[in-house]
Amino acid sequence: MTVLELNKLVKRYGDFTAVSDLSLKVPKGAIYGLLGPNGAGKTTAIRMILDIVKPTSGELTILGSKSAMGVRERIGYLPEEKGLYKKMKAWAIIAYFARLKGVPAAVAKQRAFELLERYGLGDFANAKVETLSKGMGQKVQVLASIAHRPDFVILDEPFSGLDPSNQQVMEQVISDLNKEGATIIFSTHVMSHAERICDRILLIASAKKVFDGTVQQAKDLLPPRVRVAGEFSVEQLSSLPSVNSCFIDEDQMFSIDISSGCSPQQLMSECFDAKLSLDSFEYRQPDLHDVFLHLVGEEAKVATVR
Amino acid sequence: MNNSFIIAGREYADNARTKGFWINLLMFPIILIASIKIPQLLEEKAMPTRNYILVDQTHELGDVVKLAVDRQYAAKVAESMSSYFMANAKGSVTKEMDLESMPASSLDSMMSDLLESDPSALDALNEPGAIESAIAMMQLGLQEGSPEFEKPRRPFTEVEIPSSIIGDDELSILNSDEIVSRLRPYLLGDGYLTADENELFALIIIPPDATQQVKRGGVEGLAQQLNEKDGVQFWAKNLADISLSRAIAGALNEHLRTNEYKRLGVDEDIVSQVKSSQMLFTSFDPSKDAGEEKVSMADTIRQFAPLGFVYLMWIAIFTVVNMLLNNTIEEKSNRIIEVLLSSATPWEIMCGKLLGIAGIGMTMMLGWILSMVAVLMYMAGPQVEWAMTLLEVIKSSGLLPLFGLYFLCGYLTYAGVFLAIGSLCSTIKESQNFMGTATVILMVPLMTMVFVARDPNGMLAQVLTWIPLYTPFVMMNRAAADPPAFDMYGSAILMLVTIITMLWVSSRIFRIGILRTGQPPKIVELFKSLTTSLKNQ
Repeated sequence: MTVLELNKLVKRYGDFTAVSDLSLKVPKGAIYGLLGPNGAGKTTAIRMILDIVKPTSGELTILGSKSAMGVRERIGYLPEEKGLYKKMKAWAIIAYFARLKGVPAAVAKQRAFELLERYGLGDFANAKVETLSKGMGQKVQVLASIAHRPDFVILDEPFSGLDPSNQQVMEQVISDLNKEGATIIFSTHVMSHAERICDRILLIASAKKVFDGTVQQAKDLLPPRVRVAGEFSVEQLSSLPSVNSCFIDEDQMFSIDISSGCSPQQLMSECFDAKLSLDSFEYRQPDLHDVFLHLVGEEAKVATVR
Repeated sequence: MNNSFIIAGREYADNARTKGFWINLLMFPIILIASIKIPQLLEEKAMPTRNYILVDQTHELGDVVKLAVDRQYAAKVAESMSSYFMANAKGSVTKEMDLESMPASSLDSMMSDLLESDPSALDALNEPGAIESAIAMMQLGLQEGSPEFEKPRRPFTEVEIPSSIIGDDELSILNSDEIVSRLRPYLLGDGYLTADENELFALIIIPPDATQQVKRGGVEGLAQQLNEKDGVQFWAKNLADISLSRAIAGALNEHLRTNEYKRLGVDEDIVSQVKSSQMLFTSFDPSKDAGEEKVSMADTIRQFAPLGFVYLMWIAIFTVVNMLLNNTIEEKSNRIIEVLLSSATPWEIMCGKLLGIAGIGMTMMLGWILSMVAVLMYMAGPQVEWAMTLLEVIKSSGLLPLFGLYFLCGYLTYAGVFLAIGSLCSTIKESQNFMGTATVILMVPLMTMVFVARDPNGMLAQVLTWIPLYTPFVMMNRAAADPPAFDMYGSAILMLVTIITMLWVSSRIFRIGILRTGQPPKIVELFKSLTTSLKNQ
């Protein structure tokens, strides 16, 4: 069952195209990673999904409705730039946002305390937001966006600004939500999070969709990568039949792209045959980081800044 | 719409917790109490007894001067005795005072009237023991536990010239220039004549030929040649306190004229009888009912009370629209607005904010009015009789509901504008540019309010009434003067139309502005995006 469907969404600001021709289907219960370089159009896409900005053209269906406003009680949203009312108490702010989503006042208050307790902020329930650390504030905001038990959650950069242990708590929040049946879209720059948590990823660059599929499908886009070290030159390596291309990477190791149809084992035996003495031989599957750089690397560097 | 109320509730609670709100709320009664109490205190305590020196070389006019100073003090004693009696009398006289029939003048001016028409009436109070026996007589009529009567201090005391400065034998022969030059350091505060180091306030010199140097009226006067140092000289550094010089000059003239009558052979009794004759003179208001046309003190206050309301209204509106501006900028700059927008429509958010801040404004107003009534009720008494009159006027005039209504209208007119400004700016600093213009526009009703109050149905009032931004202030100001029905209802309709238009345009700008980042847009840019957003609807 599809809970979110985007059909050729376009958003232009004057001459500037923020999102171009974006189509997407998110199945119920999925954890969808929204990846892309800065300024790629992720936040604009999210704002269109939430009906905060109107698309220039195209249409979308969310939870069976044409506009997020119609089903806003069922949607949770954590914006990219985090901010809270400084003078409010932690529990009050969570309860406030829950009430705006239709939760009765008494229930909202009770849930606020429960959530704070559950994610390690029980002692700070009555503290004013301005007295909390940045990370704690961010956690409060995350809790505020899910206190109404949404079916569909959009988290824009939920990990930024959190220390490793709090990043883990954040991962816990996401997996808890997912277990309760919620569909989740989150954007991030940290590929390891996306790799660990996401079922599927959507990669946008320069306003366009570059990739949409499972994490494994993404990894399969790149050939396996081999890195070797030893007393020889790039030319010597390049002359081997199973080496497609080769360069020296940032660790001063030879990074080798294997020719299609060849295996790492084949490369190793060719090295022995050519009497190239290897100090190290490393073979690994490409990760999302590599895929990201491969797909948007060049574009990301020249990406126009809005 | 439910969301608007939730937002309004938060907005209200958030602002009600700020220090600024409480300062504003408490400031007003504090200022009110201070403005009543401080002048009283100053009069009672702070004003020092002023010393003066009298050099009388005529050996005649000096007694007149002394009598004048004594009478001035007697008037003061009489005044404080009567207010003491009114405050402490059995069956509290204050409650029975009929404000509507009280002439448009205060106790003060009644006393000075008396002093003018028959000054000798107060001489009895200067007899030794007279005050004490008057108090003893009063005692029967006083409530139990009344405080002791405190005699007011003498405002002016005569001091002798030490013989080391001017000897007794020199006193009647030195000319005035010499006397002044010897006493100048004391007059300038460079030295003291008394042990308590009280500055010498004034020096009065009556030269021997003062009685001859009289300026005459008529043809005789035109032919006279007088120098500026002829006659009585009054030397004092303090130019602000003229009560002594006025009392002395008045008494000397009085004395001179009485002597003239005598010289011309007119009977003294007849003169004093003539002098205390008065033509009855009463002001009437043609708009009042038959039998009640007399203009009373309450009427005067009623005419000027709206001025106070206009001022309160202005402060309240200016304060709360600033709150609105700051809150909007806060939400925008820390991006809370985005979460809000995912939960509520821009229109709901705007309504919520308008409603919440209106609540703050109303609370502030209510606080001010309640504290004002409380302060006035506590203060009301013969000392501050205007307080009681004001209270009566507020109760009877129907200005209060109008005040609430016009406040709400004024607030809504400006709130939309400030909300729109807030939505366009990401920092307070950016909003300053817009605020300059807005403040200038808002200053107009404040600067014109006195002129409008003086002529409530005049040209200026008429013109300002039809400028919707000023209607609430001007109509409040005119409220007591029965403005024509056309002005009242016509301007009300125009005001409503303006409010609706303002809020509508503001909501558009709010919707566009609230998600903008970076510099506020230029007017042309804003207009363009406004019109395109209309086409898209």
